[in-house]
Amino acid sequence: MDGASTKGVLSHLSLLEVQARSRKSERQQPSRVKELKAKAEALRTQRDQLKAEIETHKSLQKLRASMDKQCAHEEEEDEEMAEDSENSELLRLMARHTQLKDLLHAHDIIGGYSVIKTRQGKGLCVSVTTAYNGVYLENYNLEMDLKPTVRISRDNIPPFIPLKSLAEQSNMQTDIRTLLDPLSQHLNAFAARKQQLKLVKELHKSVKVMESNALCSLLVLMFTVPREKMAVLCSLEYTDHTRCLPTRVHFECEDQGLPDSPEWKKNGSLLMETPVHKALKTMKKMGDIYSFKMPRYVEARRPLCWFDPSRAKPYGLDDGITTLPKTSHSHLRVHQLLTSLSGKFTPGTSVALTLPR
Amino acid sequence: MDESTKRLLQRLMRRIQTQMLRTTLDKWGRLTGEQLRSMDFTLSKWALTEKLLAICEENELAVKHITELEMICESDVIDNPSQGMWYAFQLMDPEGTYYDAHSVELTQFKEQFKSHLRELIRHVSVKIKKHTDEAVWIRIAWGDTFSRPNHMKPTYVVHYLQTPYVFVTSLTSKQKPLLSQALVLSTRYQAIKDANLSGRKLTAIRDLLMRQYHQVFPTRYPAPIAENDQTVSNQHIEREQAEPAANRLQAACEAFGGGVLPQLQSAVYKLETKFRDHSNKTMTEREEPFKCVVKFASTNLLESLRHCASSGIASTPVTPLLSSIPLKGKNYFVITDNGPGPSSQMRQPQN
Repeated sequence: MDGASTKGVLSHLSLLEVQARSRKSERQQPSRVKELKAKAEALRTQRDQLKAEIETHKSLQKLRASMDKQCAHEEEEDEEMAEDSENSELLRLMARHTQLKDLLHAHDIIGGYSVIKTRQGKGLCVSVTTAYNGVYLENYNLEMDLKPTVRISRDNIPPFIPLKSLAEQSNMQTDIRTLLDPLSQHLNAFAARKQQLKLVKELHKSVKVMESNALCSLLVLMFTVPREKMAVLCSLEYTDHTRCLPTRVHFECEDQGLPDSPEWKKNGSLLMETPVHKALKTMKKMGDIYSFKMPRYVEARRPLCWFDPSRAKPYGLDDGITTLPKTSHSHLRVHQLLTSLSGKFTPGTSVALTLPR
Repeated sequence: MDESTKRLLQRLMRRIQTQMLRTTLDKWGRLTGEQLRSMDFTLSKWALTEKLLAICEENELAVKHITELEMICESDVIDNPSQGMWYAFQLMDPEGTYYDAHSVELTQFKEQFKSHLRELIRHVSVKIKKHTDEAVWIRIAWGDTFSRPNHMKPTYVVHYLQTPYVFVTSLTSKQKPLLSQALVLSTRYQAIKDANLSGRKLTAIRDLLMRQYHQVFPTRYPAPIAENDQTVSNQHIEREQAEPAANRLQAACEAFGGGVLPQLQSAVYKLETKFRDHSNKTMTEREEPFKCVVKFASTNLLESLRHCASSGIASTPVTPLLSSIPLKGKNYFVITDNGPGPSSQMRQPQN
């Protein structure tokens, strides 16, 4: 009985064990299979994606090539991409996008200068534009050979711009912008100074241009100071030819003290910091220079006597003119002075008053 | 007024055209309004000359005043056909930096030039005047150690400050080194050389050398160049030939310029190349170069060359021998076997 029951229990146990084992292994297989299946799926979708991308890229390249050709020959109509409309629209946009990106990149490289290829790629023609105050002025051109070395073959740049020395100092064999940028600076500054001179002549007829030169690097102007009716000679030197503002301002006047006065020192720094035609406008507003052209018949009248407001009576009446000592008077209004004068002179006496500063 | 001054005035009056006489005298400013009004400009030139002589006697004008008038005739009167040829010179090797040579001021230049010239030759009369277009006109009357300056044969020099170009007329070979030295010292350059450009009109050679005419460059959007109205002979030919004709015109304008071109009268090529013609063995065998001078002459040389290129007579692209005329601003070339090079000889200016 023991053997049979033991055998029965043991065998039952072993049966159960076998069952349990087989069930475990059975459960592993499908999950593993599922895993692998899932992985295969993923890989397949990835492959399909990549294939689609390659296809798009290929058709983009084709489209881009036809677009580039289209730009060269503007009359041709290339309509070979006759796929379903949605796809081709998208592709067209993408191709245009890459084209514009490349164009921007090229524009960055050449720095905004207008350049075209000549002689089937063996030459270049560069156009440098000048502008001042939002107005386009002259265009200057440079024709260059690229082979065997980069050199300038023709240009229409005026002779006082140092093109030759700029070319020698530049690194134009490797980077053409090392020539074009300084050249553009010189040309734009020259155009700006020239334009400023033109505006001074047009807008400020009361200011006389005594001297100027071809490069517009020297300007000598003559103003008339309203109070003393004296002429002031103003020299503006532009020694830095890449700038359109002067490097030195110098005033000369019969009255030696005038250039050192605070107003004229202010005018000097104004002329150093603002373009000359604008500075003159400000100076006219401040009353430092005459706004109208001086008529020829105005002459300074010689005074017959000097009136010193701090004294009780005029002096110098008998002996004519005496030089007035320099004292600091405050400004007196003319009518105040005249009222204080009334009664002190016999009618018919002419009095000239010069108000000290 | 002495005899020589009278003769000077008479000669000057012969050269002034009657219609320009009033404006010229006005610019001169040496006659009072009344005197100017008293001159009847409908009279003959001889009568006017006599009247002017009388007025100058009245005003006690001297030789220097008459030379002023002469200078006005030369420089201010437009299209005045000058007596002789103008020659261009170029100053070389500026001293110091570029800024030094470009900062030579007018008054500085005037003083220096006069003092240097007077150091070199004692009896000389120099008059310097600046024009609105930044040109400095110099009139030099030369004398020597024994005689006073001869005002009948003055030399005129035109210099544009801040450029290396100088234009001269009526200079003899004896006077040339003196003028060159004075110019070099007063402009702060180190040497002066012949620019190999000459012509009858100062404005033409100046525009050519200083690039003041309309130049045409290749552009992305070429503007249509105005062409002369040509009679359309055959519509079909016109249509077929439209594009090649436009290309030729563009190439011609790029080589010579667009619009009105500076008037040059001649171009001279001096050849010093070996003779090459296979049918003529005797000449080809010679060792020495075959010396030959080719001269092109015309009333407006550049215009005719441009027309040759645009009408197809000369093939495009234009040969560098012809396009060097405007490109280099020269009209005298010496061509050797190594290719066209700068002329090594100095031109002999004619008196």
